[in-house]
Amino acid sequence: MKVEAMRIQDIQKGYKEKNFSAIEITKDYLDRARKFDGSIKAFISLNEDAALRDAEAIDARMLKGEEVGLLAGIPIAIKDNICTRGMKTTCASKMLEDFVPPYDATVVKKLKEAGAIIIGKTNMDEFAMGSSTENSAFTATKNPWDTTKVPGGSSGGSAAAVAAGFAPLAFGSDTGGSIRQPASFCGLVGLKPTYGLVSRYGLIAFGSSLDQIGPFTRTVEDCALSLQAIQGQDSMDTTSYKGKIEGQYVSELQEDIKGLRIGIPKEFFQAGLNPEIAKAMKDSMEVLEKMGAILEEFSLPIMDSALSAYYIISSAEASSNLARYDGVRYGYRSNSFEGINELIVNSRTEAFGKEVKRRIMMGTYVLSSGYYDAYYKKAMLLRSKIKDSFANAFESYDIILSPTSPILPFNIGEKLEDPLQMYLADIYTVSINIAGVPAISIPCGFSRSKLPIGLQFIGNHFSEKQLLKAAYSLEQQLGIHQVMPVLKEV
Amino acid sequence: MKITSEEIQYIAKLAKLDFTEEEAVVFAKEFDSILSHFDNLDREDYTNTDMRERENAISVFRDDEVQPFKDQEELFQNAKSKRESYLELPKIVE
Repeated sequence: MKVEAMRIQDIQKGYKEKNFSAIEITKDYLDRARKFDGSIKAFISLNEDAALRDAEAIDARMLKGEEVGLLAGIPIAIKDNICTRGMKTTCASKMLEDFVPPYDATVVKKLKEAGAIIIGKTNMDEFAMGSSTENSAFTATKNPWDTTKVPGGSSGGSAAAVAAGFAPLAFGSDTGGSIRQPASFCGLVGLKPTYGLVSRYGLIAFGSSLDQIGPFTRTVEDCALSLQAIQGQDSMDTTSYKGKIEGQYVSELQEDIKGLRIGIPKEFFQAGLNPEIAKAMKDSMEVLEKMGAILEEFSLPIMDSALSAYYIISSAEASSNLARYDGVRYGYRSNSFEGINELIVNSRTEAFGKEVKRRIMMGTYVLSSGYYDAYYKKAMLLRSKIKDSFANAFESYDIILSPTSPILPFNIGEKLEDPLQMYLADIYTVSINIAGVPAISIPCGFSRSKLPIGLQFIGNHFSEKQLLKAAYSLEQQLGIHQVMPVLKEV
Repeated sequence: MKITSEEIQYIAKLAKLDFTEEEAVVFAKEFDSILSHFDNLDREDYTNTDMRERENAISVFRDDEVQPFKDQEELFQNAKSKRESYLELPKIVE
């Protein structure tokens, strides 16, 4: 079996049966990344020497028969806004081009404890602001299925890395769809966990009340395993959930979904939805019905206004989170300035990209005196309403089904000059972050032009187990998760 | 609503960013189109809704324990310049 087609469980089986070592697997992935990433540009940096050292250490432990972690010897890629001690963490920004964190994010700490091997840091939209990974200060990532298309964003590098077979597992962050939309564009499983389930400590903040870290994998089973490895309460994150959580997700995946009540929000299927995506949704719904799920259409009339609320709240939070980049303590510092104000203004103006400036400006505007009531306050009121709408829906349904994206992967450059068009691409994903509920995107078909289509399952708070079970059942019936893109060397 | 480039310059001042006049004009145009989309917030009824974002928030406290950071070089690696064990900064106080 070729390394690019392997799932986490295939690698684990290989280790158990001593068919190959962690060193061999890690080398194979790194070789593949070196060979093909010139045309994909999924990575900002590769971590070759340390990865091989870590692999050697894991091999030694496995040879001794020691108890190893949940992801022992699994090569992983990490989005470049998640802090990795001693490894550059740039947020794809000139502002943090040379930033080397002196500590690990809690997620990274947990992954290392689980035995995972970090092979590199992935490209993204600068500070996670964007839906195409074109806003990176370094390079635009290409979609492995068609390199003239975007991979989605903002975690486009992580999605492209898994889709291209550079790693079986990658992590991203999702503030308004930044895991699910690229998962959909790249034909992968992508999960945004319930807000508070995964620690945000060490995730460079964008919209603190919306951000969550989650995995990209080829299969739902790999997704379930990865969530187990990173979740849990953390005293370093005050918003980390303190209640009891599910200990494990893998063992009950295969249970049937007979009687599962699935709500179909009709507003998610109206004008603006690509007809090929609509057709793929319909086909999947028929499959689910055949499996015994009970599907019912209902109304969730929040979509248009939720997008506004999302961009207001996330930009407001971003404008205060990004106020820390002042050129004084760390990060980029301008060479020309007189006095403290110029130092700050020039450093920020020279180092932030266009989209980041746009969000900071929008956030500052909606929080500024005279506009707070008209925008920010209304958006926060709407947030309460959106939460209530979801709570009501989950009284009648176990799960909500929708497309992940209204459009297929678009051409590189197509939406770059029209920010509103770019924002509208997030219309099906943002309300989930506002409500704080979990959602998963899984591949459910292809367009005629062979571009992946993603389907989104939305669950109630902390219902990841049920969400994964439904996703697994559909995935097994559809049987398209083995299909892979063909890459060209440059 | 029409945003002027003067308003953009005022917001830029608050946000500690600097725009040329041409950039401000482009920003003003983009802002207009985005803000007019935001106006759909006005179509919602908020009479029985209140802001309760932090309703379930619980303060979390940790013991304030001193943990010496062993490797000073690693800790200060992001500083632009150092003199002996001090961080060196440009003169910023007038």
